[in-house]
Amino acid sequence: MSAARVPPGARPVSVAAPRAGPVVARVWALVCSRGGLLAGAVVLLLALAFAGTGWDFRAIPPAAAPPEAMPVSRAALRLAAERERLEAALQRKVPRGSWIVIDQTHNRLRLMRGPDTVLEAPCSAGSGMVLKEGSGGRVWVFDTPRGRFQVLSKMENPVWKKPDWAFVEEGQLIPRNPSDRLEYGSLGEYALYFGNGYMIHGTLYERLLGRPVSHGCIRLGKEPLREVFRQSAIGTPVYIY
Amino acid sequence: MRVPVLLLALAILPINPAAAVPAPAPFAGANAAGPDDAVSARLRRGVEVLRQERELAFGKAFYLRLDASTQRLALMLQGVTLDEYPVSGLEWGVPEVLFVDRRPPADWDLEAFAKGRLEPARERDRIEVLAPAPAPSPTDAASPSPPAVPKSAEESYSVPSPYRIVFAQRVSLEVRARGQGGRNRSLGQRVLDGARLRLADLATALGIGARERVRLRVTLEADAAASLYRSLPPDVGLIVVGLPPR
Repeated sequence: MSAARVPPGARPVSVAAPRAGPVVARVWALVCSRGGLLAGAVVLLLALAFAGTGWDFRAIPPAAAPPEAMPVSRAALRLAAERERLEAALQRKVPRGSWIVIDQTHNRLRLMRGPDTVLEAPCSAGSGMVLKEGSGGRVWVFDTPRGRFQVLSKMENPVWKKPDWAFVEEGQLIPRNPSDRLEYGSLGEYALYFGNGYMIHGTLYERLLGRPVSHGCIRLGKEPLREVFRQSAIGTPVYIY
Repeated sequence: MRVPVLLLALAILPINPAAAVPAPAPFAGANAAGPDDAVSARLRRGVEVLRQERELAFGKAFYLRLDASTQRLALMLQGVTLDEYPVSGLEWGVPEVLFVDRRPPADWDLEAFAKGRLEPARERDRIEVLAPAPAPSPTDAASPSPPAVPKSAEESYSVPSPYRIVFAQRVSLEVRARGQGGRNRSLGQRVLDGARLRLADLATALGIGARERVRLRVTLEADAAASLYRSLPPDVGLIVVGLPPR
């Protein structure tokens, strides 16, 4: 292999250390080493900054209640009275009789009496499905509402007055005669109405309990429904979350 | 050598005015002189928290009640406990820049917090059904194909760990899961969650984007953490009670 020929008059090009002499070579090496140090220092600083920037957490241990010191001053006595008044006001918010809690995400219903759980059962809450009407352009969303409600009426052997969506969903014409909307038996033995068209009622499809399959009402199995119906009165609070 | 250090300092100092100030104790309250003053201070603090709690209990929004003394987290509505989540670890945190804590505001723990939203957000996939064309009589109606049975909550939502509930008052609640449980989240998703959260931590500590001032961190059993994530109502509030006095 022969060395590359350099034309006469041309200067050789090098990207390695300059060949101008030992002084320049030494300066070059120095610059290189300083550059390396500099880069290393910058990287180290950034790593430290990264490690030391974020969130600093400290544990909060569970505290034993401190021994209650007797308030002596007039201001302290006034504050103690105010505290008692506020605690009583909060306590009064908890229902004394029966109340119903529905976890619509996990499709569970609990019947409570004071602080105790009397009954817990799977239920079916709203499916969250969206139904679009082909011609009319109406849209229904089958959600169960969240919040605090109360039992407004109780019905035995309830009759379902089918709303428009029930006909649209099945591809049927919406009847003009109101009596054609009535359907017997599909809501089970009992229904507890809690407003805006929503009820807790029975179902023909008990195998789907525990899944969100309803049109917004709460479906419940036969036995739990009987117990909820028996223990609830008009005004029984219903909490849905 | 000096240039990057100066640049770093210039970048940090304007957003961290309290960097040179030693971080004070986290909880406001009973640092009074005499024993009766201490009693009054503790009572005043308790009364203030109770007032905030009463406001929430007489409102219409759902709220979380974190009791630091008994280590319990509860989902509440109008003063009624709807669900409870035992807490196995509770911490509080403040942003830290270059190992220096940023000063938490005084009395931060005497407020109630509102408009909490999940981070990462919980997305709901809704099934859309187009109704069949109506037929004159039920017998003529085209038999619609039976709609798909919606997924259960466990199938619908995979649960990140940790996740956060970020409140409008620049306070957040971080929920960590202990154990595996039914989180339904793949390894890849978890790695991505971790990286994204670390970047978000850096950003919030530096005051970029959401400027959080205090973060509470609770550790729940995996199933409880997942249950809370899946069923947390929107715009939830938070009240913290039972924090130890400083």
